[in-house]
Amino acid sequence: MKNSYLADITRGIFQENPTFRLVLGMCPTLAVTVLLKNGLGMGLAVVAVLTCSNLVISSLRRFIPEQVRIPCYIVIIATFVTIVEMVLQAFVPTLYAALGVFVPLIVVNCIILGRAEAFAGKQPVLRSLCDGIGSGLGFTLGLLLLSLVREIFGNGRQSWRRGWSMRLPRICVPGGKNSSACQASWNC
Amino acid sequence: MPDFKRLLIIVLTLVVVTAVAAGLLAVANMLTAPAITRQQEEEYRAALKEYFPQVADFKTETLEEDAFDLVYDAAGELLGVMVTTAVQGYDGPISYNLAVDKEGKILAIRIVEHSETRGVGDVIEKPQFQGQFIGKSYLDPLQPGEDVDTISGATISSSAMIDSIRRVLAVVAENFLRLEKEEPFDITAVPDGTYLGSGEGRSGDIVVEVTVAGGKITVIEIVEHGDTPAYMADAAAIIPPQIIDQQTLDVDTKTGATESSEGLVEAVLDALTRALNPEEGGESDEE
Repeated sequence: MKNSYLADITRGIFQENPTFRLVLGMCPTLAVTVLLKNGLGMGLAVVAVLTCSNLVISSLRRFIPEQVRIPCYIVIIATFVTIVEMVLQAFVPTLYAALGVFVPLIVVNCIILGRAEAFAGKQPVLRSLCDGIGSGLGFTLGLLLLSLVREIFGNGRQSWRRGWSMRLPRICVPGGKNSSACQASWNC
Repeated sequence: MPDFKRLLIIVLTLVVVTAVAAGLLAVANMLTAPAITRQQEEEYRAALKEYFPQVADFKTETLEEDAFDLVYDAAGELLGVMVTTAVQGYDGPISYNLAVDKEGKILAIRIVEHSETRGVGDVIEKPQFQGQFIGKSYLDPLQPGEDVDTISGATISSSAMIDSIRRVLAVVAENFLRLEKEEPFDITAVPDGTYLGSGEGRSGDIVVEVTVAGGKITVIEIVEHGDTPAYMADAAAIIPPQIIDQQTLDVDTKTGATESSEGLVEAVLDALTRALNPEEGGESDEE
């Protein structure tokens, strides 16, 4: 049994990685991955919401009538998203400001509703919990990899280690001189 | 009956789920609200420090719905006022701070919260929009299209901000900085006599001769001007009678002959000013 829980987690990270394999949740992915810390913050917010919503939806799966399952899922997901939003605003305001509208938009993130519908609505509680953690971490991994690359190319430097910056070759990118990549190469 | 029972279960489930969700949110709100308020206060203080670097103390006054923080330095000198106010935007209220220095000039605009359309109405947060207000004061007209521009595509959001800023600036100047618009000219102080004055018309100077008798303007005669005669005739028909009737220089100009009208008023004011300060008088100083 233990193996199956582990498999639930790793499946979300690798075989069914939301970003790279399922190509779900592309809108927030593209929007927030300009800085590594934004990618990380968004990823962790999704882990929190997805884990909680999977847990609750799976526990209620026998009580929620088939016909109204989607409205119930949305209410549950929206509740957790709002709680996450309040917590971010209260304790990590810079991240809250950076993520902007994409925190409330987690509500309609297809990964979360997708996991609720495809997994948590049918599977037992503990497996759903593992699936939530796995898919959330998979999404976080996708965001981290993308933002790692985009932060360096977009700014010509990175923010997670002091005193290290990359000298970018003078590349021509769409947008010409004013695009951030080219500006970085002029300034370096 | 089973149909009815199923329906009831559906309704009850939805009610219970939403009620529990509402309860959870209320609790979460209760727990985070103090921290959020504290956070916002800290941000506000940081902004205050940024706009008024010598701030040592401030005193809050409220007038109607708005809060005015009178900012003082260590010596107790008034540095300026930071206003917290709100205006109805395109989609809900826009709450913002306006930092005004002690001369009534805008130092900064800080949008606190808004729900304008992202990518459209949120231009009110950007330097492109805010920059045009910096340094403007209650003496400026602050009229869309005149000295500040609305942003096309975000007309409602930006014109709401312009109107609100104009109103707040006037309130600050009048109530907290004790600044007022220029004193109207006191005609009764002018000694009797006939005075020459000049103002700038549409093309060239307008020279008028103003006769004052018993503290009143009795005659205004246009001595010389370079404007199109038809326009000047329009202006001359309406401006001098208004001034003489109302004994004020705050008169309506003639549409279509605005520059001639304003030139006339300017010339009369010039004549009266010379009358009050004869030592500067004599030859009109050419511009």
